[in-house]
Order: sequence, then C-alpha cells, then structure tokens
Amino acid sequence: MMNFLPRPSQQNILRYRGGLLGIAAVPGAGKTHILSALAAQIIAEGGLQDGQEVLIVTLVNSAVDNFEARIRRFFENPLQALYKYRVRTLHGLAHDLVREKPASVGLETQFSIIDEREAGFIRREAVNAWLASHTLDEYLDPALDESRREWVRRQQLPDMVDSLANAFIRSAKDRLLTPEQLRSLLDASPAPLPLAELGWSIYADYQRALAYRGAVDFDDLIRLALTLLEHDEEFLERLRFRYPYILEDEAQDSSLSQQRILGLLSGATPPSSSGSGWGVGNWVRVGDPNQAIFETFTTADPDLLRDFIRTNPNADMPESGRSQPSVIALANHLIDWVMQSHPEPLARTALSLPHIQPVPEGYQPVNPPDQPEAVRFIDKKFTPEEELEAVAKSVKSYVDSLADLPDEQKPTIAVLVPRNNRGIEVIEALKKRGVETIELISSTSNTRAAAGSLNYLLSYLADPQSARKLAKAYEVWRRDWRSDAEKMELVKATIDVIRRIGEVETFVAPATLSGRGSGVNVDWLALLSESESEQVLQELADFRVNVGRWLNAVTLPIDQLILTLAQDIFSDASDLALAHKLALVLRKATADHGDWRLPELTSELAVIAKNERRFIGFSSDDSGFDPERHRGKVVVTTLHKAKGLEWDRVYIMSANNYDFPANLPGDRFISEKWFVRGGLNLEAEALAQLTALESNGEFDWYEEGAATQESRLGYVKERLRLLYVGLTRAKRDLIVTWNSGRQGDATPSLALSELMGWREGKG
Amino acid sequence: MDPTPDQLAIAQAPLNAKTFLCGYAGTGKTSAAVERMKYLLSQGVRADSILLLAPQRSLHEPYLENLYLDPYTGGEVTPATLGGLARRMVDLFWPLAAEAGGFARPDLPPVFLTLETAQYYMAHLVRPLLDQGFFESVTIDRNRLYSQILDNLNKSAVIGFPHTEIGTRLDAAYVGEPAQRRVYADAQECANRFRAYCLENNLLDFSLQLEVFANVLWPQPPVREYLARTYRHLIYDNVEEDGPRAHDLIRDWLADFDSALLIYDEGGGFRYFLGADMSTGLALRELCDQQVVFEQSFVMSPPIADLSAHLPHAIAPSLSPPPSTDSTGVEALHIIQSHFYPEMLDAVAGEVRQLLDGGLPPSEVVILAPYLSDALRFSLTHRLETLGIPWRSHRPSRSLRDEPASQALLTLAALAHPHWEIRPPKFDVAYALMQAIDGLDLIRAQLLTEIVYRPRELALAPFDGIKPEVQERITFSLGLSYSILRDWLLAQREAEPLPLDHFLRKLFGEVLSQPGFGYHADFDRVRVAASLIESFRKFRIALDPTGSTNLSGLGKEYIAMLQDGVIAASYVEAWKQQVTDAVLVAPAHTFLLMNRPAAVQFWLDPGSSGWYERLAQPLTHPYVLARAWPFGQAWTDADEVNASQESMSRLIGGLLRRCRERVYLGLAELGESGFEQRGELLRAFQKVLQEQSS
Repeated sequence: MMNFLPRPSQQNILRYRGGLLGIAAVPGAGKTHILSALAAQIIAEGGLQDGQEVLIVTLVNSAVDNFEARIRRFFENPLQALYKYRVRTLHGLAHDLVREKPASVGLETQFSIIDEREAGFIRREAVNAWLASHTLDEYLDPALDESRREWVRRQQLPDMVDSLANAFIRSAKDRLLTPEQLRSLLDASPAPLPLAELGWSIYADYQRALAYRGAVDFDDLIRLALTLLEHDEEFLERLRFRYPYILEDEAQDSSLSQQRILGLLSGATPPSSSGSGWGVGNWVRVGDPNQAIFETFTTADPDLLRDFIRTNPNADMPESGRSQPSVIALANHLIDWVMQSHPEPLARTALSLPHIQPVPEGYQPVNPPDQPEAVRFIDKKFTPEEELEAVAKSVKSYVDSLADLPDEQKPTIAVLVPRNNRGIEVIEALKKRGVETIELISSTSNTRAAAGSLNYLLSYLADPQSARKLAKAYEVWRRDWRSDAEKMELVKATIDVIRRIGEVETFVAPATLSGRGSGVNVDWLALLSESESEQVLQELADFRVNVGRWLNAVTLPIDQLILTLAQDIFSDASDLALAHKLALVLRKATADHGDWRLPELTSELAVIAKNERRFIGFSSDDSGFDPERHRGKVVVTTLHKAKGLEWDRVYIMSANNYDFPANLPGDRFISEKWFVRGGLNLEAEALAQLTALESNGEFDWYEEGAATQESRLGYVKERLRLLYVGLTRAKRDLIVTWNSGRQGDATPSLALSELMGWREGKG
Repeated sequence: MDPTPDQLAIAQAPLNAKTFLCGYAGTGKTSAAVERMKYLLSQGVRADSILLLAPQRSLHEPYLENLYLDPYTGGEVTPATLGGLARRMVDLFWPLAAEAGGFARPDLPPVFLTLETAQYYMAHLVRPLLDQGFFESVTIDRNRLYSQILDNLNKSAVIGFPHTEIGTRLDAAYVGEPAQRRVYADAQECANRFRAYCLENNLLDFSLQLEVFANVLWPQPPVREYLARTYRHLIYDNVEEDGPRAHDLIRDWLADFDSALLIYDEGGGFRYFLGADMSTGLALRELCDQQVVFEQSFVMSPPIADLSAHLPHAIAPSLSPPPSTDSTGVEALHIIQSHFYPEMLDAVAGEVRQLLDGGLPPSEVVILAPYLSDALRFSLTHRLETLGIPWRSHRPSRSLRDEPASQALLTLAALAHPHWEIRPPKFDVAYALMQAIDGLDLIRAQLLTEIVYRPRELALAPFDGIKPEVQERITFSLGLSYSILRDWLLAQREAEPLPLDHFLRKLFGEVLSQPGFGYHADFDRVRVAASLIESFRKFRIALDPTGSTNLSGLGKEYIAMLQDGVIAASYVEAWKQQVTDAVLVAPAHTFLLMNRPAAVQFWLDPGSSGWYERLAQPLTHPYVLARAWPFGQAWTDADEVNASQESMSRLIGGLLRRCRERVYLGLAELGESGFEQRGELLRAFQKVLQEQSS
C-alpha cells in the first residue's frame, strides 16, 4: 500500500478488522482519507471473496469521485482493487437496490426519477387543488380582519401549505407510510387531526400524480429500497454477502430509514427494533454530529449517530490540521459553553465532544501558526445596511492588498451568511466596489456549464440559420480548449469567421456538396481558402462535419438528440452523466407537454442552466466546489453550503439573535407565522399529528402547541451547530459581525456574546 | 455447402418418417430440414400439403429462401406460426367458433385485434378503473400497464391455463411487501373485463384467437378433418421456442401427419418471456419414430468453441458443465477498450472498416448490444455510414411514434386534411419537408417553411412566389420537389377523402418514393412508412370492420391515440426487406432469433446489466406463469438469481454458437449514461481471463 503515515488517532482506526465502529470526527479531520485507507487495507489484506465488495456510502456525488480516486491511489496496480469496492451515495445505493428488483416494489424497469423541481411542481399543484376546496381558517389568527385574511389566503397560505406538505410527505415516507396506510390510521384516529388530514390529502394526490408519470421521487427510492430489504430475506442475504464491509461517511446526516438500510445490509439493527444490542455486522460509521445542519426540512437526525457511537465500539478523530490554534480554541470553547452553560438546558446537547486538537508534531498536515489577532469579533451595532458596507469595505481593502501576489499565493476568502437573500445583497455590495465574487449556490458551475453548453447547441438547432448561434455552438464544441490560451486564439479567430457567414447553409450544407444547384450556390468554405489561415480552415472543416450530424439528429426524439450532442461535446464523465439526466428530464417534458418543440425545450434547459432546477442523486451533479481554484476572489455563500469547505479568511455575517436564537424571551422564530393563531408552527404541528397517528399510548397523544415549542428547541440547536460549522471553516482569519435586524431590535446572538466575552477575558 | 451424410439421412428419410432432430445452434439442423423440404417436393409431394411451422415468422426465412431455387408443384408451402394458423382457422370456421366460443353475435364477422388495437380497447376499459383506485400501489406507465394485462392473457393462452387463474397464480408466488398483492387482483379483474368485452363484441385478441382455436375448434371433427386433409407433412423448427399449448396441439395432431420433422435447439428457449417452454417441447420426441442428435458445429472455430465451453460456466457454474479443455479460447476474444462511450463507438466502427477492407463480407459482421437505444443506434450507424459501411438494423422495441419518418408522414397527412384541425407547428412541417425531400437540409427546410407555411390557415404558399434570391438559396431543384409535393397535398384537399392508409399509400407511391424525394432510396424510411400504413389499416379494420364510420375521423383518432402512446406499441415491420449484405446492428436477442451465424460479433456494453436482468414487469411474471411452476411455490430471490444466470448463460452460449471466428468486446469504462459499467458478463469475462493467465 501507498506510503501513508497515519496519525495516532488514524492508526487506531486502521486497527479495525471487523464489527461495528462509530467514529466521531472533528471538522478537517480527514475522514475521507481514513475511510479510503481503511477500504484499501481491507482489500489489500485479501479478505474479500469473489463477488464481494467494500461498500462506501457517502453523502454527495462529489465525494464519490473523491473516494474512488483516493482508494486507487493506495494501489500500485489499480487492477488489484478492480471490482473490490463500490462507492455510492445513499440515494445511489437505494437506486441500485431498487433497480435490481423493481417489480417487487411495483415498479417497472423503465421507472423514472423526478428531481426536486419537478416534485415541487407536482406538489404545488396538489396544494393548489387542496386550497381551492378546503380552508385553513381554523388556524388563522382570529384577530385578522376579513380583508387581511383574504390577503393571507392568497399570498401566504400557498407557500406555507406547500412547505408543510413537503415536510409531511417526506416524513411519512421516512416512516414507510403510504397514503393508503395513512388513511386507515386516520380513519382509526380517536380525535380529528386536521393537519394530518391536510397532509394525507396532498400526499395521496402527489403520489397519484407520480404514479401516473411512472415516476418516483428521491424519498421514494429510500423508502422502496428499505421496503425491499425488509420483505425479501434472500435478497438481503445476497446483498450481505456482496457487501461484507460497509464504511459510511457523513453519518450524522442519515435519517432513520437511511440508517436502517445500512443496518440491514450490514446485519446490525438498532436496539429499538430487536430489543437488545445492535447485533453483528461490519459497519464503520464516521461523522461529526456537531456538523448536522440542514437548510430545508429533513428527516435526518444527528442523535442517531450519537446513539450509535455511544452504544458501540467507538473511536475519535479529534486531530485537524485545518485551522490555526486560536480558531480551534474558539470552536472548542463554543462546545464547552453549549454543553455546560447554555441557558436553555435542553439545548446543551446541540454540540458534543471531542474537542478539536491540532495535528501532533511530525504528522501532516501542519496547522497554520497561531495568530490570535486574526480572529476578530466586531461588536459594533450595525444596521443591516451598515454591516454590508463594513464587510464590503473590509473585503475590498483586503483583496486590494493582495493585488501584487501571484494568483497561486493569494489566500482563499469567503463571506458566509445565514440565508440566500443576504448573500445576494453581499454580492451586489461587493460588485459595486469592483470585487470579483464567486457564487456557490446549490449546484456548481460545472452542472450549469454543461447544461448551458447543451442549451447553446439546442438554441442553434432551433434556429439553424443564425450565424451568431452557430458561432456559439462552435465555441461549445471546443469547450475543452478553454484553458489552453494558444488554442483559444484559434477558437477566437474561427468564431470571428463564422460570425461573418451571410447564409449559413452555404457553409453547413453547401449545395455543391450535395450535387445540387448550378454554381449559384457555393461552398462558402471553399471560397474562404484564400483569406484564412490553414488552421482556421481545418477547424471549420472539422466543425462542419459535426454540425451536419447534429442537423440530421434534430428529428430524433429529444433524449436521443441530447445524448448524441453530448457525445460530441463532452468527454467528462460528470458531463456525460449530466447529459443523460438532462435527456431524461427533457424526454419526460415532451411526454408531459406534447406540444413542446425545440424552443420550449431550449428554455427548459435554460432553466436548468440557470440553476433553477436542482439535481440530486446519481450523476455527479456537483463535481465538488474547490475553494483553491478561486484564490484571491471572494466566495459568497450560506453557512449551510459552506459545510465541507475551508478558506484562509472567513467572514461570518448577521450573527444576531434572529438568525441564531437561544430560546430566550424576545427571540423570534421564522417558522411561526404572524397570521397563525397562537403563533403555532403549523409544519411542526402537522408532523406531530403524524407522529400521534403512529403512537398507541394515550400519554403521547397529540397536544396542540407542544410541537411548536419543541421545534423552537430543535431550531436553536441547529443554529448553534451552524455557527460552529461557520467558525471551523476558517484556517487563519475569522471575522464575525452582527446587525440589529430589519426592525432594529435584534441583539448579538447569545453564543456570539459569549465568545466575545470569553476572548476579551482571555485577552 | 453440400449436405453431410447425417443431413442427407434426415432429408431422405422415408415419406412416412417422423423424426425428432436435436442439437445446438450451428450443427446443421435447419439446413437438414431445408433439404428435407426440397426432398419432399422432389418426390412429388404437393407443396400445399407441407406445413412449415415455426414460433415466429423470421424463422421461416431459410426455408423460403431455398424454396424457389428448384421447380416444384402443387401450390404453396404453408409457412405458419401457431398463432397465425389459429387465426386462419377461426376465420374459416367462424360460425362454429362463434357459437361454441360464447361470442354474442355469431351472425356478425369476427374482428381480429393486433397488439395495438387490443391495447386501444384495453385502455378504453381500464382507464375508468384507474380513477376508482385500481393499481394504486404500482408506479408504471399507463400504456405499459395495459400491455402487461394483455401479456397475462396471452400467457394464459400460450401456456394453457384458464385466464381466470392469472391473479391467483401470480399472487401465490409473490414474496414481498403485502401491499403489493392487490395489484394481481386488479390485473385479474381487468383481464376478465377485457375478455368479456371481446366476447360481447366479436373481438379476438391474440389470446382469444389461440384459445378459441385450441379449446373450441380443435376438438370439432370438421376442423380436425380439414387440417388432416390439408397438411400431410410437418416441418416444425425451433420447437423449443413455442409454448406448451402449441406443444399440446402438436402432440394431438402428430399422428394425423404422414411425415414430420421436429427440430429442437438444445441451447434455445430465448422466448421464455413469451411463454416458450423447452421441456414440453422436448417431450414431443417420445412421439417420433426416431430421434437424431447433431453434435458437430459447422460454425464455431476451435477457439470460439473453447470460449463457448468456458464462458457459460463462468457465468453459471452450477448450470453449465465444467469445460473439458484447459484452453479458454481467449485468442478469439478482442477487447476494444476506451474510457468514454463515444471513443468506443469510434473504435468499433474503425475495426469494422478494417475487417471489411480485409475482405470480410459485411453480412458476416454483427454488432450487438443488450439494449439498443435510439441514441446508440443513431451514433453507431452514423459512424458506419461515415466510413462507407453498409448496415441494417432491427429494433422491435422501437415504436412508430418515435420514428421521424412516420412523424413526417403524419404531419403531411395533417396538411392534406385541414378539417382535422390538427395544425402542425412550423418545426414539424420543416422536419417533415426535410424527410420528404431528398437532400433538403434542416436550414433550407426551416427557411422554406418560414416563408411558405402559415399554421393558422394551414396555408402552403407556392415556391414560385418566393423572392428569387431566396429561391436560389433553397436551390431550384429542391424547390421543384417542394412544388410537386405541395401540388399533390393541395389536390388531396379537394379530392374525395380516403382512409388514412390509402392516403399514405398514395402519398408514398405518387410522391415520396419518386426520385428527388426522401423515401426514394432510404430503406429505413420505406420500412417505417409501410409499417405505419399497416398499423393504421389494422386499426381501421378493428375499429370499423364494416367500413361504416366516418373515414377521415378515424385518421384523426388514430393520430391522437398514437401521440397519446396508447397505440405506440406498433412496431416497425421486420428487417427482411432490407439489403442483406450489410453489417447488422441489433439487440443480442433479436440476432439469436434470426437463426444465422456471423464470422465476427461485436458485443457492446459487456458491463451492462441488460445481459442478465429480465425486464421488470410488476403485473406479470414469465417464470411463475410457466406450466412447470408449482402453484403456490414462492418465487424467491434465489430463483431470480438462478434464472438470471441461466438466461445469460443461454444467451451467451447462443451467441457463441452463432459465431465463426471472433468476438470483440466494445467496452467503455463509462457507459452510455456516463456510469461505470461492471455487470455480471464482464465479471465472467474477468474470470475466464484470469483462468487463462493462471
């Protein structure tokens, strides 16, 4: 195996030979590396039989590629590891399982998977249908006058019910409840549960619409995979043989059903279902419960991993070479304060040990040197606008100070904000000052670039007479040359020539080539031979062959057209995979909209290119954002999306009690709508009603308002972890600011005040 | 090649011999049977007393090709499938069939349904039930739901059990989430309703044709006498690819023949998903006077033979005998490896070019894949064309709706029938012109359409009215073709309305097949046009047997159904009209059922799961509904694994026995969709290669 000097904590993990193992890792502990090493070790030791693989489960597709590359690197001869391991996301794994036996769960071979946008669209239709025939008046604040009420019904309810329905459906699926089963539970319920009725109605409608399309959503994949495993013992046995070892990364983000899938596969099941112990199985779970943060509703629960670690053999990975000691100390103090002194005792479980430790001497990587002054809390009370100005100004002067450095020596910089809207404001403020920003939104620029490329080709095919669009298509065709300055010169020259074509057909399909016409029609390219360089002419000739093929492909069904184009312009695996997905999406679109032709399909693709449609799942939807590629520029993103990333300098904004409440009097909660009576959080109440349906004791029966309170607590805890994630993104410089909020009454978040006080005390 | 003594012995057996000939593909069985047919004719046997039975029509080919080489007398040999024969008998003896078969209107003629028209009626019956909550636990495309219900009915007929047992049989074998079970009851209910509707309206889908023939007509003396009188000699090839009900009938019928030659491929059974049953086929040998086994392959070179011993064993060690030789035959194996899919296709096309340059006839090369998507077919055949390689393709799973050539015809039909009020968008018209007019590229097609076509009025302006400089851009010769087409379409608007099939035939015959038009030399398009015409003709006859309905309304209804996918199951008719000396591009299964070998086979996507996984169909099950499956026995995961291994082993064995010299693996690390491919076939190859190196 490759030369790799594991740190003491890593050595401990590499002693693993089998059984259950729970590992709590701190930010920057090198989880991917150690899991890859462990997989390579299992393979190298020859413990696998023919047909057996180490299964590595991770969270996002970008990690899949990362794992594969790393495992390969442990072997001198890659054939040694061929077919010996498999890296999958949980959804990808679920897809594999369901794909193996679709008919057992009521699917056919060609079942399709709809993305979140399409799912949202279908759900919204169900929501609208529900709102058209039902009322939520019993939940509205009685103090509202009729015109206000009417406004709420029109302007507020659709979004709120949609979000409620989303949470309800996802949660029902996580509990493996079909609409049918839910209906019988509702029918048997001793008391009316209006929100659960609402949820059921939309769920049933939504599921019917999916069935009509022959499609499932991502949550269905998990649900169906689990159903399959629970009802087909022989299949499960076969899979257990196939995957004798399961290594799970980012385990803090697993939901109950996801955990159950891996549990069943490994042979280990949670005590709750078997009564005693976890059973046996080779299952290594690595995660950081302190980094369990969720942007939208999720069924994931970090306590699942905590319980696993607590009740099974376990190890820590406390060493991290990412941050300088002062940042580490700060993060560790946040853990201590939350665990010991948070004024809301129930919030004290938000964070847990271990503390972060610097990498011991003699091992890699080496932490940045200590620079206490590089950690700064700005305690000044800014208005939101002032905060923007202050941060923009600071960023600007910092970026300016780097101007003379060569790019590769420039530091990486990020501004992290609690929500998207704030990010947009930051970007605008920076742009105004001429600072170049990089957006890190839900999918990466790669996805968008690929969709964009296809979009340009389709735009041309929809309007093949346009020389301008043809030039764009040419540019797309040569997209692989973008990083080669010399070749780009040629591309630019060729583009200029193409733009000048008067009648595109004389280039693409000259009549003389097809033996038609009488010399009136000419081959534009042949005429060009005098004036242009040999290279440009060759480019044009090569390009023409391709365009001819594309023009002929136009009558193909759209999916095949896309794939054909993709095969010509993409060579990158993730691009090809994406193209396939786009092909399916567009094919589906034509099935659902019989009147759509190229222009409509092109706009659909534009929507994707603009990132309004998000892909999750099996194609490399995000090839991984790499901050290193944007040195000297400023990445603006939400704290949530910064997870897994690191920068030399990090700004955290809006650290006030609105975005980071502590459940103190005066804290406001975003999920509690002003127009709902009693400040109920209807989403939380709906989920509580769902829980009540499944319960059988009278003591855990639904009680209105309790869930709203509980959800406050969940939110407070999640926000503490979010702050922890934000702090631990910084390698060297960390700057935290807060603002007084839209209404001017917000205060610094309690955690921020604590950290400021602690630093002052130290200083 | 002259017949061997063994083949001659079969061919020249006495005129009252009943022979069961057994052997693997490539051992010369069919050649012997062809000789037998010729021998019978040479002995003065009347051609029309010979029944040439095969499970599917493509399997008649080798006989019909040879039939006309020598003169013979006495009418025509009857090539038939059992289904075709059933239909003919029901037609012939309709009064008898109608009365005893329980049809409501024996006084009216029968209406025979095709797959698509049956699907049309099924949709009609099932749709309202879906609204009542039928099939709620399955996620399946509506049209495939209809076809699976029909599939169940067909299986009950082919296998020979009452159609009322479909649901209970499926249910009894089901293992899995209990909530799924109710779909079988739903499927049963739909099958019952469909059958009842057919009986009420004199409609006969495939299952009913077969059942009426087998259960109602066959026992009747006049029918038996007629058949016994008509057919004195039976040649029945690929017995193993037929279902048990066919075998039952032959079992009964065999005594009536003077002579019979039954041919059984030991490595066959490829049509199991259509109810084929090898065991009931093999059982027929007991009824024959002599059983002959052919063992020597005329096809496989020694290395291919070695490979065919090793590979199936590597796939299914428990199902295939261990190879008797150490030599694995890997020298016959060539691997074309690339990282990305398009690179692999380039390399394959380049290799084919070299093979042909080396003197190999194109017909000796086949390119096979487990699935042949349109995109793959398109990308590959385009590459072949670019290299000047003749190719042909056959994809029964491709529907007419997706064929650009049929879309073009329907667009033109809409232009000729303004009262349908179907207004094709400009894109469709440009595409239609592009296909209809030879040499018209997309750019000129759009330019022309922009100028001459106004969708709202369905107006088509004349070419002469266009500005001269634009005429020049489009070119006058293309303009002339447009003018001819336009004049013809406008004349049709004035003419007496025709049924759509007549209209299309006329359009094709008078315009599109002429020089200067796109269907003139494009066999693919001709094939599609013929299929479309046939598809509509069958639709028309099924919906309107008496010809009383408004003719052009039916055309509009057809187009709507086609777009809706209800009758999208209409397939392009067979490949046989195509040039034969061409490289075949086909799904592997299709090639197997063409009963012909090739010198070189390219296997694309060896890492695909399509080589071993059967099509998932939640409402039906080929194994559980088979006759040999004990009622009530659960279909378990182990059964599934065994069945997959067996079917892949059979498929691979079948391919190799049809291969003379060489197999190329077209292996792209990332498959068509960009995923890594590592299916069971690839693993089996891995094993064989490891064996070799050890």
